[in-house]
Amino acid sequence: MSTPKDLLTIDALSDADIHGILKGAAEMKQVFCSGKTHPALAGKSVLTLFYEPSTRTRSSFELAARRLQADVTTFTVATSSVVKGESVHDTIDTLMSMHMDYIIVRHKNSGIPAVIGRHAKASVINAGDGAHAHPSQAFLDAFTLQEKYGDLTGKRVVIIGDILHSRVARSTSTILKRLGAAVAYMGPGPLVPMEKHTGIPRFTNWDAVFEWKPDVIYLLRVQNERMDTPYFPSADYHQAFGVTEERLKRIDALNLSIMHPGPVNRGVELCDNAMVYRNSLICDQVENGVAARMSILSYLTPRTRNND
Amino acid sequence: MTSTYIKNATWAPTGERFDIRLAPGHTQVVPELGGLTISDAEVRPAGQLNIPERARVIDAEGKLILPALFDMHAKVEIEGRSKRESVTRTGQAAVQGGVWGMLVQPTPGFMFDNSSSLDSFREAVGQRSAAEMMPAGCISQGMKGDQQAPYNTLAARGIRILSDGGERPGNLLMLHRAMKYVAELDMILAIRGDVPSITAGTCIHPGTTSYELGLHGTPACAEEIGIEIIVRLAQDAGCRLHVQTVSTAEGVEIIRRAKAAGAQVTAEVALHHLLYTHEDVGEYDTNLKTVPPLRDKSDTEALLAGIKDGTIDCIVSDHTPCTPFAKMQDFPTAPQGMCMLDHYLPTLYTQLVKPGKLTWTELVRACCITPCSIACPDVTEPTEPEGIPLLLFDPATEYIVTEENLPCGTTNTPLLGKSLCGSVTLPLQ
Repeated sequence: MSTPKDLLTIDALSDADIHGILKGAAEMKQVFCSGKTHPALAGKSVLTLFYEPSTRTRSSFELAARRLQADVTTFTVATSSVVKGESVHDTIDTLMSMHMDYIIVRHKNSGIPAVIGRHAKASVINAGDGAHAHPSQAFLDAFTLQEKYGDLTGKRVVIIGDILHSRVARSTSTILKRLGAAVAYMGPGPLVPMEKHTGIPRFTNWDAVFEWKPDVIYLLRVQNERMDTPYFPSADYHQAFGVTEERLKRIDALNLSIMHPGPVNRGVELCDNAMVYRNSLICDQVENGVAARMSILSYLTPRTRNND
Repeated sequence: MTSTYIKNATWAPTGERFDIRLAPGHTQVVPELGGLTISDAEVRPAGQLNIPERARVIDAEGKLILPALFDMHAKVEIEGRSKRESVTRTGQAAVQGGVWGMLVQPTPGFMFDNSSSLDSFREAVGQRSAAEMMPAGCISQGMKGDQQAPYNTLAARGIRILSDGGERPGNLLMLHRAMKYVAELDMILAIRGDVPSITAGTCIHPGTTSYELGLHGTPACAEEIGIEIIVRLAQDAGCRLHVQTVSTAEGVEIIRRAKAAGAQVTAEVALHHLLYTHEDVGEYDTNLKTVPPLRDKSDTEALLAGIKDGTIDCIVSDHTPCTPFAKMQDFPTAPQGMCMLDHYLPTLYTQLVKPGKLTWTELVRACCITPCSIACPDVTEPTEPEGIPLLLFDPATEYIVTEENLPCGTTNTPLLGKSLCGSVTLPLQ
């Protein structure tokens, strides 16, 4: 049986797909760290189509594609010029005429990659859509935790911050639960959805977090750009929900890991010392991002002519 | 022209069987549900009517006879089509769905805030539409929500109901004053419960699906607060109010309380709010994007109970044609609404009457008698020559909804590909 065409959400993948991509990430990390390339995508064209600003995800995907010997094209879209889905359709028609094999897309609206995936023969990889999904982030997070802990069964990860707007929280919690880990959410009240809607324990303070006995503290970026009307008094955020110097001491004493999808707002989610904390996995996440994306690209099967 | 005879027809509300002679060219009136009274026609128990040879006879054996439906809430404008074609297609869709008349909501292309747009619309309807189309006048100029439309001009043109196409005017002071003004003209304001500042940027009911899809939820309380606001304003102004597309259980409760307190309020529910829930949105099915959004199962049940006990007066189609292209967009961007007129009565029958959720009497009351008495009370008068036409319904027919049997010409309906029961004969002569 052939592998899926698109990577849109974690939910759409079978257990075999998830394990296949994670196993591939370990192999690709060796290729990547040894400075070599792998011919998995030789002769294929990869396009990055980012309707939202991004530094690390985009460059991580482009680097991954180049290490797989693909041709990489960057499609620059001024956010302002693309508001309507119909222009997305027209863009995709144009790109398909250029015989792209892989389209890596990010958009502020939930569901856009699925619209493109239905329309295009190329493999569509969701690099983040609205508050919906960010599956490549989920893979790099799961891979990073597997490197650290091995089997994730029974491991406890608390995701902290703006859950409501976070595609990272949705995708990473989904993959971690599929791998046997337990996940909880913590953040300001209006930004943490109800447990009856998510099936995930919901906390709104650090005491409850420590009581839950997590192994990993996963902090999300405060996304002010997504909040038209304020959800919380922002002056209080660090003190109420961030990793302060005092909390860092407690985290250190309990030997917990810290993760963050980046970019970090220093002094908001994390105090300065947390950035250099001995159990911080933040730089591993970035490094593993390339390996995970190499694995994703080589795992999918485009339905384009180049692939016949 | 000669008379038309219908023999062995079963009167849907009571199950009684009749033979009927319809005089040529006349229309029928059904003033009450208990029995069948037709002006200018002969009605006899089945087998007792003397049918001459060579007369035009419709054998209605196994078929039901009932008044054709009236839809209090439909949009006619089809984006990208001319106004005339929109009218033609929607008229065809309505008649196919068993609907003889509808109250047309104003839309940007059919802006009923002046006499010339009303005149040109009525002319198009007269020439092109198979169904009656009664325009609802605008509440505010250009539906912008800040300035009253010319109510006396609209009233002089026969407008009885005012609506801003399902939106609540943003300026509540303007609305309150408009209510006081139109109370004197005996007009009815049709408004949906909403607090726009709370629901801006939302597109789905908040719950499991909104979480999974990462979409902003439209809280039920915004609609309920909105209903409270318009009910209280209308009560204060002494104005008749029709609450559009109630979608939540608490919304039904608020209307129940208001009616008990003597408020001059009526209410409607859109058929899709009785049939679907937010979970049906699945993976961003834009055909199930509606405003207000599809709610929970408990809301669906409360809405149905509201129809049965008369709290909710009407079921409406909330027919909203959208181009396939528009609905191919992503969920937040795609326009709201679904196409419901084309298969309206078969859908009502298959999904509600057949499974025993609604009786024929309740259906005729909520989809014909009550909406007519609100929107066009003249037709329910027994003395009125222009009345409600009858239709024949064959519940034994089964068919699949395809692009070919959607005369409206747009395919934004979750019914596409689904199997339905029933076929409609309208008009009878």
